[in-house]
Amino acid sequence: MRTRHPIAASLAVLGYIVMLVPILFVVVTAFTAGSTLRFPPEGFSLRWFEAALTYTPFTSSLVSSLILAVISAVLALALGVPVALAIHRGRLPGKALVEGLFLSPLIVPELVVGLALYQQLMVGFGLDNFQTLLFGHTVLMFPYAVRVTGASLALIDPAVEDAARGLGASAGRTFFSITLPLLRPGLFSAALLSFITSFNNVPLSLLLQSRDFRTLPVVMLDYVQQNYDPIVAAISVLILAATVLVAVIAERTVGFARVFGGINR
Amino acid sequence: MRGRTALLVLPGLAVLLIGFLIPSVAMLFAPPGVSPVEVFDRLGQMLTDPYDQAIVMRTLGLGLIVTVVCIGLGYPIAYLLSRSTSRWAGVLLALAIFPLLLSSVVRTFGWLVVLGSQGAVPQLLLSLGLTDSAPQLLYTPLAIVLGLTQIFLPLAVVASYSALAQVDAGLDEAARGLGANRIRTFWSVVVPLSGPGVVVAATLVFAGAVTAYTTPYLLGGSRQRMLSTQLYTYSSTTIDWAAASATALIMTVLVFAVSGLSGLAARRGATS
Repeated sequence: MRTRHPIAASLAVLGYIVMLVPILFVVVTAFTAGSTLRFPPEGFSLRWFEAALTYTPFTSSLVSSLILAVISAVLALALGVPVALAIHRGRLPGKALVEGLFLSPLIVPELVVGLALYQQLMVGFGLDNFQTLLFGHTVLMFPYAVRVTGASLALIDPAVEDAARGLGASAGRTFFSITLPLLRPGLFSAALLSFITSFNNVPLSLLLQSRDFRTLPVVMLDYVQQNYDPIVAAISVLILAATVLVAVIAERTVGFARVFGGINR
Repeated sequence: MRGRTALLVLPGLAVLLIGFLIPSVAMLFAPPGVSPVEVFDRLGQMLTDPYDQAIVMRTLGLGLIVTVVCIGLGYPIAYLLSRSTSRWAGVLLALAIFPLLLSSVVRTFGWLVVLGSQGAVPQLLLSLGLTDSAPQLLYTPLAIVLGLTQIFLPLAVVASYSALAQVDAGLDEAARGLGANRIRTFWSVVVPLSGPGVVVAATLVFAGAVTAYTTPYLLGGSRQRMLSTQLYTYSSTTIDWAAASATALIMTVLVFAVSGLSGLAARRGATS
């Protein structure tokens, strides 16, 4: 591989350096004993991890991020799976249009959506920022909820469902005891993608923040802008570790590439 | 039956309308207390004012550079991985996808550690005696290009990979068997067949790069303003709804235009 395509191989190595080396530097910096982002780090210590875990803005915004991600992922699936069902199983006029509408949040810039929701729902309509964030994050996850579960729905043979109906099961019973169990890998993938999308989101969470409810990425962004110490490196390493855990869980269950191979599209 | 199918769609559609479609259209054309005419006046000003023009051109220019760099680095990665039979190929592909799961704040923060005045690169240049003082690398166009490349390269790899995986490797061998050398095979078989997929990859990267916020904010700061950082300033600091809407319109039109053009190009590529 290396010897046969020397030009492609050198470009590829360069690509991996740009993607991964900055992350390695964050990891190294998190373990410094010094109090600056100086490189090479001055000694080894875990003091910045202790500082990160006891810094209230980080811990309370982490809780906010988790609450928001879980509730909006559940909402997106609860609202999106029926849509996928209607598109793939029902007799729906204008299927392509409906699917296109539910995928459209992927095309409009997130910052534009954030501004729109801030201006129209918070300022204009008087919703509080948590309610507005729920709307925004749920809508942002619709593409995953509809398309990922839809793709896995397309793989299920409708004859299985027809058989259940033919044997006398109601539409509801057929869905809950036949379709839903078969749909589990798709639901799991969609939930994981949704959760990560919400947890990492900056543009929406930034424009829709309030003093009482801010997400972790927004607090980190603010902190980095004002301070220059390794506490953000430490919290970054903790996030990195959690992300690796999520990737391992994905690999052990549905398969890493199957879940994330089409992310952001 | 039809009535029941509609019931499945309605709750989701209601949330989509209230939480996305209606606010977006209202914001772009009629922000509170501002008439559509004012938004278009402000848009006209922006497209003629030298300061605003510079921001639009910087956004477009950096977006184009990032797109070229991401395809230039991502396509070779995807090509090598799709043609490799090594068991490491799977691991390397996972390593290229993994950054997509990691917060953009964490990834961009890495560049502050690498490029900051006390960071690795300036300190290395200093200790090698190549410069007398730590060079200013942050808040430069270079920093933004590096940061955005890191963010969007995984996307370029994934999109190119799925295009390349669909090109039958048997065709490479057939071309070789008919006497084409490796370079000719690559340029006249592999590249044309994976072209539409590469157009999709380039579109995703460009649309992402001209609308990204975290990276221009942290690595460009107020010295290298882009449309996204400007949009945030208008909506949160100066609270100038007309200007915010006009900026949002430019961004949205840019993304829609590029997506539309690439859709056309991909379709033409697929039929010819």
